[in-house]
Amino acid sequence: MDELRPEIAALFRAKEARRLRLAKLPFPEKVRIVVELQKMVAPLLRQRGRTVRVWDLDER
Amino acid sequence: MQATLRVLRDLENEGVLERYAIGGAMAATFYCEPLATFDLDVFVILPVTESGLISLAALYAALRQRGYEEEGDCVVIEGIPVQFLPAYNALVEEALREAREQPFEAVSTRVLRAEHLLAIALQTGRPKGRERVRILLEQAEIERPLLTEIVRRHGLEARWSAWTS
Repeated sequence: MDELRPEIAALFRAKEARRLRLAKLPFPEKVRIVVELQKMVAPLLRQRGRTVRVWDLDER
Repeated sequence: MQATLRVLRDLENEGVLERYAIGGAMAATFYCEPLATFDLDVFVILPVTESGLISLAALYAALRQRGYEEEGDCVVIEGIPVQFLPAYNALVEEALREAREQPFEAVSTRVLRAEHLLAIALQTGRPKGRERVRILLEQAEIERPLLTEIVRRHGLEARWSAWTS
């Protein structure tokens, strides 16, 4: 198998480190990120015919 | 989300639910990086009805009374689609019993342990579950002796070996 070039390997390491940093965020902060992910994904899913609802986190 | 969690807590306090805990992707998100999901999966133990059957009807009626409408498989509670999943086997019942209290801003909620999330994903056997197992093993703090015991107790050793070797 081809070995990864060092700069590419460094990119993958950085990506992994970022994911571990995200895992350590407080839960409410992660929930806000999930909602941002929903906003990004929802238009694509709707185009494919799926009904999805982006969470409304405005506290009443 | 606090408002949604308050409703769940109230339903439990009022006896509409015997016990609840967050599961699925949101529970995994508690232990790992944020995972994209549109539903809040909530595992529940429901009071047994007079007929001895387990039914979501009383829960749905209580929610309707509060003004929350069904939308597909979910009930939208304070802007969040919640899917209620009655405890359907011994593993899920155990997971619910041993779920942990966790604060979420000003409210307290309950989340399945990472070890049980892993075991449920193994038992369910879906490709999505396999990915969840990988992420949990990489990022969550797992109590290995406990996980080993759960996997053994619920007869999941073969899939554990297949998915992790």
